[in-house]
Amino acid sequence: MKYLLFLLCILFFNVGFSQKSIPNSTLTTLEGKSVNIQDEISENKITVLSFWATWCVPCINELDAISEVYEDWQESANMELIAVSTDDSRTKKRIRPMVNGKGWPYKILLDKNQELKRALNISTIPQTYILKGSKIIYIHSGYSPGVEDEIYDVIQKNKN
Amino acid sequence: MRKIIVLQLLLFTVILLAQENDNIAVGFESNSQYYMDDEKTGDFTEPNRFRSNNYLKVDYSISKFSFGVQVEGYEPMSLLNYSPGFNKTNIALYYAKYTSKKIEATAGYFYEQYGSGLILRSWEDRQLGINNALRGGRIKFFPTENITLSALYGNQRSGFDVSDASIYGFNSEVNISSMLKANSWNLDLGLSYVGRKEEKNTTDFNFNDLTNAFSGRLDFSKNNFYSSAEFVSKSDDAVIIFNEIRNVKPGSAFLFDVGYGKKGFGINANFRRIENMTFYSQRSANGNIYNENIINYIPALTKQHDYLLTNIYVYQAQPQVSFQDFELLKIGEIGGQVDLFYTLKKKTSLGGKYGTKIALNMSYWAGLSGEYDYLNFEYDSDLIRFGEKYFSDISLEIRKKWSSDWNSVFYYVNQYYNKRYVEETFGNVKTDIFVSESTYKLGAGKSLRFEAQHLWSKDDKKNWVGGTVEFNLNSKLAVYVNDIYNYGNDEDTEKIHYYNLGGSYTLGAHRFALNYGRQRGGLICIGGVCRFVPESTGVTANIILSF
Repeated sequence: MKYLLFLLCILFFNVGFSQKSIPNSTLTTLEGKSVNIQDEISENKITVLSFWATWCVPCINELDAISEVYEDWQESANMELIAVSTDDSRTKKRIRPMVNGKGWPYKILLDKNQELKRALNISTIPQTYILKGSKIIYIHSGYSPGVEDEIYDVIQKNKN
Repeated sequence: MRKIIVLQLLLFTVILLAQENDNIAVGFESNSQYYMDDEKTGDFTEPNRFRSNNYLKVDYSISKFSFGVQVEGYEPMSLLNYSPGFNKTNIALYYAKYTSKKIEATAGYFYEQYGSGLILRSWEDRQLGINNALRGGRIKFFPTENITLSALYGNQRSGFDVSDASIYGFNSEVNISSMLKANSWNLDLGLSYVGRKEEKNTTDFNFNDLTNAFSGRLDFSKNNFYSSAEFVSKSDDAVIIFNEIRNVKPGSAFLFDVGYGKKGFGINANFRRIENMTFYSQRSANGNIYNENIINYIPALTKQHDYLLTNIYVYQAQPQVSFQDFELLKIGEIGGQVDLFYTLKKKTSLGGKYGTKIALNMSYWAGLSGEYDYLNFEYDSDLIRFGEKYFSDISLEIRKKWSSDWNSVFYYVNQYYNKRYVEETFGNVKTDIFVSESTYKLGAGKSLRFEAQHLWSKDDKKNWVGGTVEFNLNSKLAVYVNDIYNYGNDEDTEKIHYYNLGGSYTLGAHRFALNYGRQRGGLICIGGVCRFVPESTGVTANIILSF
């Protein structure tokens, strides 16, 4: 009971203070270059940030589904999807051939020791963020078929 | 509890002081289980039927400074088979960090990884009960855009405490191609050092308090081709077998990777040889079942499967020296894997209207061959020769979209698992596994997913069958039921259904999940590190909140 009260306390007091932007964190590109995530997010477009891993089947389902309609998305709005891989060194080497083999058109960044994932308190993947400029306007965790339509709607509503 | 109240007060203060240009992030995760008696698998005989692991993490940043704390509560006890060091509620981690263009400085607890982690990795995995963060200080220096230098000193976390040994680390990464202003190719060089100083309590063997490990790495890429190599050398250190020092030996690791990719096609191959490469922040922790005091990370380089029956025989990397009997002698492993991804183009006869995606993986791992002297715990390994076969795995995945609202995945796996060598028990197992999965979109966010799987084997527990049905009511709410059944088991009493049913609800970054069922005992493996969990039946609840 105490425990529950404690939980509720956190809920009530923090609800208005949620993370509004992506914290400063260094990721690497597929070629191994270090980049700051904040520099990768463009101020004047909509960015979809999707956290995934090569071993995560729902993540792949989501990115496969979006890749089918990605051309239409980019034509309809000034947007970009960045797929942040949370693979550690066990499966990291699978990222590049998978992205190539699937022909995914996304920008891929690597969070190899999961620093950004931890900073955003992400416990399960896939987890997807939509940002307008640098501001987080939508978060979704998990994937079920059709989530891509919901993401599309959010993009349409917020495009300039 | 009192500590938590203090923390909560601190949290409020921070929130009250919160201003426009700062950022506060709060994450809460709770994993609880109520263990029940089971007429098939037996009564729950441990203390406390209700157990819960809880994590509260608060990070606050203002301009160039950031601060954070993580409180963990295991109340009234931690879930089954977590380390006894995770006990009750306490402050687990805290840090203060300064970041500028040229310098990043951290005091308190931090995570770090050098290269692929073969020499050093500290990280957190709550499912596995791993948190080997370092407590001390770290400084990173970026003199130019192409150079990163960092140094660290600390003690490694173990339970709510830290282990005695001092850990020293130095890492450098240089982008050589940029320094040479080369545009058509890329070359990175990495050099690292890790030292562990732990007082030795024996004079019988000749080794130092300080164990040194060095690592060198090269990463190269040009157009669609890329390759990397990493070499690690560990100085003479105690070899511990049956909890006692038996010998003194150096360790080494070599990892090589090569790949090629263009749109629609990707291939990657890696090779690794490791010998006596276990590295703990406390020598006596060697081989502990809770994965505590691990300094380096040696994942199994095999495909990480995602279906229930494909995860019964999971390979674990074998970096350790182990002399169990005259025949069961291990000092490391050698092997590799190949990955291939290919998309059959849309509107071709094989690709169909939507294209077909294919993924193939093959891996093979064996012991190191060499001269072994069982009685004296002595050995001399061959450089590149395969010894006893430990594991092989061939898997083929075909993803096919039939129409705009119907798609399928077909998955075939053939495995060889040398149980005697990998688990140091008996026997070996050959399996064939087939999985078929289909998803139907029903409109308005509703969808149905079916999964059918079968495992064929003449060994160990023999045949299994399994299935899953998942129903997504909308993008937020999902329910599922699954069952795997060991119908081929020779013992009638062991023919057991491991069934689970549950649901989850997500709201933004928050997630709630409830589950009831019987869990198969065995290894839970994430990223090649495994934790043994006993068979259990009960209700589990997971809460994830993020603000």
